Amino acid sequence: MSITEQLAEIPWGLVWPLIAIQFVLMTAALIDLNKKRSTNGPIILWVFIIIFINTIGPILYFTVGRRHS
Amino acid sequence: MNQYRLFLGKEWREQARSFKLFWVPLVFIFFGALEPLTYHFLPQILESVGNLPEGSEFTLPEMTGADVYASLTGQYQTVGLLVLVLAFMGSLSGERKSGTGTLLYVRPISYAAYYLSKWTSAVLLGAASLWLGYGMAATYIVQLYDQVPDLRDVVLFLLVMAVWIVFVVTLTLTASASLPTGGAAGAALGILFIGMMIDGLVGTYWTWSPWKLQSYGLAYLTGGPDTGDLAGALIVTAVLTALLALFGILQARRNAAKAKV
Repeated sequence: MSITEQLAEIPWGLVWPLIAIQFVLMTAALIDLNKKRSTNGPIILWVFIIIFINTIGPILYFTVGRRHS
Repeated sequence: MNQYRLFLGKEWREQARSFKLFWVPLVFIFFGALEPLTYHFLPQILESVGNLPEGSEFTLPEMTGADVYASLTGQYQTVGLLVLVLAFMGSLSGERKSGTGTLLYVRPISYAAYYLSKWTSAVLLGAASLWLGYGMAATYIVQLYDQVPDLRDVVLFLLVMAVWIVFVVTLTLTASASLPTGGAAGAALGILFIGMMIDGLVGTYWTWSPWKLQSYGLAYLTGGPDTGDLAGALIVTAVLTALLALFGILQARRNAAKAKV
């Protein structure tokens, strides 16, 4: 099966909200990270966590990554 | 009353600026969408993940709408509670630590208004997130599954779950009023999960507990719970919530002295 056929088989109508939420969370976390620039731990680490760990990455950033100051 | 309104405005601003207003509902909605999809496409997922020996066959049970609600509730009982506790663990302790506290505590504020404003905003956000999550799940369940529970039953179930969430949020806020942030999260999660373990062990005999609420709520989807036990559990939970809130107000006042300057 070619990759285009596989892509066509995915029920996009059902799946798109998941991808949208993931993308929105990621963007919000990155915007906030860029604005604050003070985190628990190195910033570059948080950038990777937010981008590469699905869903949980941005949540981790919002819960434990932001530093209150 | 005036103070309460002012504090409430402050709480909403705080929740918006820390993005809580935004990511807590999204997480619940995400799981609400994921759960029905996973069960509906489980055969395809198993096939594509592979690693099954040749010729192995599974007979997967036919899932009904109620089963999906039950499994999503299981998900919310772990991940959902974790998210809520992590989101609200610093509500009071964080202000003591960051210095916002000192700006407030030097004024003659009413600690009841202070605590209750936090409580109101946290409870509303928690319950709304939970309902949005189940709403998302409901839209998928209606599309993908043949047998779906009545709307009336689902609404009753959501109301019972909201009472449970109010209890969880109150516990977290009171822990945050009494302890530093880390300790608050540990205490709240510890009480919640140990309660679940105790409920698993002696739940058949201890029918009036907050930890029973989710199973009574789910019973609405598959026929209807024992209304006597449900009423008992609701009353016990309401009394516990009120006591926790009262204790939280007292602790918030007592710990005001611990605020960092």
